[in-house]
Amino acid sequence: MTPILSIERLFKRFGGLVALRDIRFDINQGEIVGLIGPNGAGKTTLFNCVAGVERPTGGRIIFAGKNRSVSLVGKKPETVTALGIARTFQNIRLFDNMTVLDNVKIGRHCRTRSLFFGAVIRHRAQRKEEKAITDSAHRFLEFVGLQGLGGEIASSMPYGHQRRLEIARALATEPRLLMLDEPAAGMNPQESLDLMNLIRRIRDRGITILLIEHDMKVVMGVCERVVVINYGEWLAEGAPQEVQDNPKVIEAYLGTGAANAA
Amino acid sequence: MFILQKMKPGIQIRVGFLLLALILPFLPFVSDYLLHIIILIFLYMILALGLNIVPGFNGLLDLGYVGFYGIGAYTSGLLTYHLGLSFWLIIPLAFINGAIWGILLGAPTLRLTGDYFAIVTFGFSELVVLFLTNEIWLTRGPLGLPGIEPVSIDLTLFGGPKWEFIGEVPYYYLAVFMVLVTVFVMHRVQDSRLGRAWFAIRDDEVAAVSCGINLLTYKVIAFAISAAFGAVGGSFFARWVTFLSPDMFKFWESFLILCMIVLGGMGNIWGVMIGAAVLVSLSEILRDLLPLLGLPVGVRFLAFGLIMVLMMRYRPAGLLPIPAVAAQMRAGRVKRKKVKASVGLKK
Repeated sequence: MTPILSIERLFKRFGGLVALRDIRFDINQGEIVGLIGPNGAGKTTLFNCVAGVERPTGGRIIFAGKNRSVSLVGKKPETVTALGIARTFQNIRLFDNMTVLDNVKIGRHCRTRSLFFGAVIRHRAQRKEEKAITDSAHRFLEFVGLQGLGGEIASSMPYGHQRRLEIARALATEPRLLMLDEPAAGMNPQESLDLMNLIRRIRDRGITILLIEHDMKVVMGVCERVVVINYGEWLAEGAPQEVQDNPKVIEAYLGTGAANAA
Repeated sequence: MFILQKMKPGIQIRVGFLLLALILPFLPFVSDYLLHIIILIFLYMILALGLNIVPGFNGLLDLGYVGFYGIGAYTSGLLTYHLGLSFWLIIPLAFINGAIWGILLGAPTLRLTGDYFAIVTFGFSELVVLFLTNEIWLTRGPLGLPGIEPVSIDLTLFGGPKWEFIGEVPYYYLAVFMVLVTVFVMHRVQDSRLGRAWFAIRDDEVAAVSCGINLLTYKVIAFAISAAFGAVGGSFFARWVTFLSPDMFKFWESFLILCMIVLGGMGNIWGVMIGAAVLVSLSEILRDLLPLLGLPVGVRFLAFGLIMVLMMRYRPAGLLPIPAVAAQMRAGRVKRKKVKASVGLKK
């Protein structure tokens, strides 16, 4: 199987602090990979490096684009999105004061092109594009289960819906790799179950998923492979059950002694 | 009448306003002076709508708008003075010229955030005034540029008559037309891919980038279009008053236009127009009223300042607020609420 994303010898330093040290792993096409680790392990930093928000200090990130492989190091976030990597944020980042539908429409941005003159003149191509944007936005809302809520103001929706909306917006950019940063945070068990179903359905559309999550039920339930990092270093990797039983992982989460007790 | 009944109330009001605007010059109580003030209101509506794109749609503070207004006015004045170009040719030229200056200033400076950007724009507008004052060979400096030909409709090429705009009435209709076009463009842009990208930038830059929006490009586009409307407003001004001098484009003009936006409701097209109408008419009323009270005319700026202070205290998002700006104004409170909510969730 060809990897869709290869992270090779990735380093990230913030001044004297080494946030990521020699991280290397691959994500295969069509996999659901979990990225776990204690708080402050560097999971979100890793996300930011892939998404182009942070520039890695060293190492390579290779993304298998549609036609050829590209290095993501030094790419701007909007370019990374255009290449086919979408993300959600740990603390939800919606366009709070816009409608749900507009939020998803903005996700269509990088796949559409009309500008000022199109907006003013509204020629046929622009009208067609605008209709396509609206139609596909509705489809993505329906896919995540928010049909009929397009007119709501994003920030007025319940928390679980906001998470779904963020996923819909990310899907609207037509990604090939979707990175979810703690999507189950703050969800009740039922909402988590629904979320796991949604993640599987996204994968069934051929989208590879990289997932940061603290909720072990979700990680164990949905991931096919789990990568563990601790203090910015690669710690373990493997099937969920394997990783769960790994003494090094238990130690990282619960401290020394806990591993022996277990 | 039947058609009027079938329309929605919102459209009815708009059609009513339009009809009123069209017959206004023929109403018995309307003097030339009043018409002059109304044209001034319309001019400031165009300017305020143009400026609104930057702080209202994109959430960037622009303190140098008057620079583009000045550039537009002087370019139009000089082109008329030296080359005798027709107003109808100058308007598209002014639009392009303004946009070019917007790009020239915006492309290097829009990487700056918040207050730093505001200071650069402020510096730019001062630069324009200094240029207009000191480059006497071009602009005649503080002497001003008199004798600019008024607008005319010249059909002699097609064997028709040449009709010069004399008095306020033709300018009034020209201004109505220009406001209509500006409002139309603003509405269309607001409801488009471009407008949504701007609103996304205003709401959350990080999220906007993650949706594939290039911040710099879209901010420069916004700045260019805003500048273009400023320059068009300037061209109209030049051909209407037929005299220009550098001190017409001092910093306080920028501030006044910004006040109109804040007063009316940043980001709201109707609000911005109301803001322009209120401040221009208030300025004229105070100009008559203050001498009667034995106060110098300059005191009206104090009144504006007082209005702004009161607005910030009681209605910070403007007379017709839009949710996004209202939320930003409440940002402090909202943040605290969010913190509380997230603490609650973890329990």
